Amino acid sequence: MTSRQVALGVYTLIVLAGVLLQLNSQRSSSRIPSLGTVFSRVMRTRSGRIGVVAGWAWLGLHFFAR
Amino acid sequence: MQGQRISFARATTTLVRDPVAVILVLAGIFDCLSGNPIHSLLLLTVGFALGRDAIVGRSSEAAPPAPAAPSLRFGPAGIALASAYVVVVGGFGRYSWPATVAVLCPAAGVLLIAWRGDLNQPAASRKLDPIGAIAWASVFVALAIWELTELLLQPSLRTDSYAHPTISVLTDPVLATHLGRSIVLSLWLALGWFLVQR
Repeated sequence: MTSRQVALGVYTLIVLAGVLLQLNSQRSSSRIPSLGTVFSRVMRTRSGRIGVVAGWAWLGLHFFAR
Repeated sequence: MQGQRISFARATTTLVRDPVAVILVLAGIFDCLSGNPIHSLLLLTVGFALGRDAIVGRSSEAAPPAPAAPSLRFGPAGIALASAYVVVVGGFGRYSWPATVAVLCPAAGVLLIAWRGDLNQPAASRKLDPIGAIAWASVFVALAIWELTELLLQPSLRTDSYAHPTISVLTDPVLATHLGRSIVLSLWLALGWFLVQR
């Protein structure tokens, strides 16, 4: 197995873990919150809200801007 | 002098308890060192403004209450505008000035909306189950650690590696085409809209 395959495998596992958590959150008895709920909680303060949105803005700049 | 010491201590305590501003400033410094002055400027501006807001807001007893969240709707006109945006801006070359300005405008707009937003939404006041919070935090921390690992395994911080790809390197082939850039811009805008609704 090459280093690239390992890297891609780990990225895939992490994404799968996120998808599984999100699916699990849809069950009524689940203790796992949805991703939307997590963001709502994190963004309940000004600093959390601005921090998350600044991260989003940076993401756009990172991929497209000089 | 005593008053200044108390203010400094209070400011330090505020920033330690709520370190988002410090994190943004540090990220801005490292982005500047990496040769990305515009990214850095955004992070530093937001970080310093947030830090000042936190310190002055905490020390001011006459701080006004947070304004109500702006009413936001995304009707057919908004969808048409967003569609035109991703088609046109997707045609701009990556890292060009037109692309830079085109991304900066919505980024600044959403930041302004977030700055003015309601901070006391009842739906968001419920605490998360610790198990759920740890589970989601683990996913994001794992992603950050693996991305950092791959970055540090590159020949240098500015040299891409096929064997140790970062997320940026993996997305390069997608972002090399007009269609790919438009799709990624759509996802980026959708994420921004999702965040504004929180």
